[in-house]
Amino acid sequence: MTYFDVANSSIVYLLVIAVIVFVFVLSAIFTRKAWKRGIELGFEKDLLKRVVKQSLVFTLVPSIAIVIGLFALAPALGIPWPWLRLSVIGSVSYELMAADMAASGMNMTLAQASSGGPEALGNIMIVMTVGIMAGMVMLLFFGKGIMNKVSKLSQSKSDFAHVVMACFMVALAAVFVPGILAKGVIYILTFATSLAVTAVQAVVIQKFKVNWLKDFVLSFSLVIGMASSILWTAVIG
Amino acid sequence: MRTSEQYKKEIHLTGRIGLLITIVILIAVPIIICSVYDIFPTFKQFMLSASGLLAIFVPLTISEVISFTPLLGSAAYLTFITGNIMNLKFPCAKGAMDVAGVTPGTEKADVIATLSVGVSSMLTILVIAAGVLLLVPLRPILELPAIKTATDYMLPSLFGALALSLLRSTGEVQVKNVWMAGIVPFVLILVINLFVYSLVGLEGVALLLMIPLTILFAKILHKRGIIKVSYLEDKGELE
Repeated sequence: MTYFDVANSSIVYLLVIAVIVFVFVLSAIFTRKAWKRGIELGFEKDLLKRVVKQSLVFTLVPSIAIVIGLFALAPALGIPWPWLRLSVIGSVSYELMAADMAASGMNMTLAQASSGGPEALGNIMIVMTVGIMAGMVMLLFFGKGIMNKVSKLSQSKSDFAHVVMACFMVALAAVFVPGILAKGVIYILTFATSLAVTAVQAVVIQKFKVNWLKDFVLSFSLVIGMASSILWTAVIG
Repeated sequence: MRTSEQYKKEIHLTGRIGLLITIVILIAVPIIICSVYDIFPTFKQFMLSASGLLAIFVPLTISEVISFTPLLGSAAYLTFITGNIMNLKFPCAKGAMDVAGVTPGTEKADVIATLSVGVSSMLTILVIAAGVLLLVPLRPILELPAIKTATDYMLPSLFGALALSLLRSTGEVQVKNVWMAGIVPFVLILVINLFVYSLVGLEGVALLLMIPLTILFAKILHKRGIIKVSYLEDKGELE
């Protein structure tokens, strides 16, 4: 059997589908529990429906980008394995890097991996799996402790405890935004466009009381920002 | 109605069982494939490929758990199981928290984030499955140069959309001027990215170092009365 005979075999498809179905059911369980608890906490059904709508609308564009990531991985790894990794645990940016590093450990590029035969595929699959497991194991053993500490912090009557909570978000922006801006002019212009679109929407919501827009701010800014990158690329090159 | 403690106990149990099963089945998949086709790598082959990857991914994924769990609360379980954290699940949960007007770290924020990540995960799974089923007709469309360009610039668009939300607090507790605590970490990371080493892909580790630094500057600014905390009446949803 060749590398791709194994990669696209019915056994691999069956295993992958079984895992994805399990994670889909798990997502449904979490959703149901959160909905029920939301009602218990006094959230109105309309507000919860708005949260669901906002989440679904926002998810659409990044999900399509993930499908494009799948197309990028499929020529080297077949279809089912990237399908699994992008539906469960992985992310577009990490998976390509992980697969590439696993292949380079065998002295080949990811594009050349198929020349190593099905053994190379087995090695890549195991290495990619082990490589990304640490976070999940960490969450399994220490997640509850971290969450309980945060919960205590947010219930604290000290003002500074709330400052600490807000700092997590600020630090996130302080780490991710410079990396994006440092990539070049088109990145800066795209970021600025998206930021400006968000600010304009915030003003419109506040000034004209367009409350329905609140649910779409993130989605509109994302799509317009992405669309602007096409313009900036055409203008600047 | 269940108490907060009862709900927490229940959601942690679901999360941890879900995580444990996911870990086991994810490890089982490549092991079954390698057993069926007799394609297990040798230990030497495995170590040659895994050592470099483990050196980067172990600290990266661990630091992501430490950095994102406080922001996501119990939604972290499903977020880490379904992946695509920074490019989808976290922004989605943050957007949902903004819509509901809840303060991160509270039980209300936990519930809203879990609801958001739950429906987002189900839709993502369906969209990717549709992508697999429609691979042949979709591929030429999704690989158009314009679409390719737009998706290449998804992250700057995402952070442009999120920046304001990250820098100002939402919910019942308002922390004014907290963005100022991020100025020095921002400049530091910018200088490192421009002149020392690109941190792209290593943001999780950088975040682990920048969170304490941001808190340190916040402490100084809070002591000087520049960062102020005010409490709004809990209205469920803020106008």
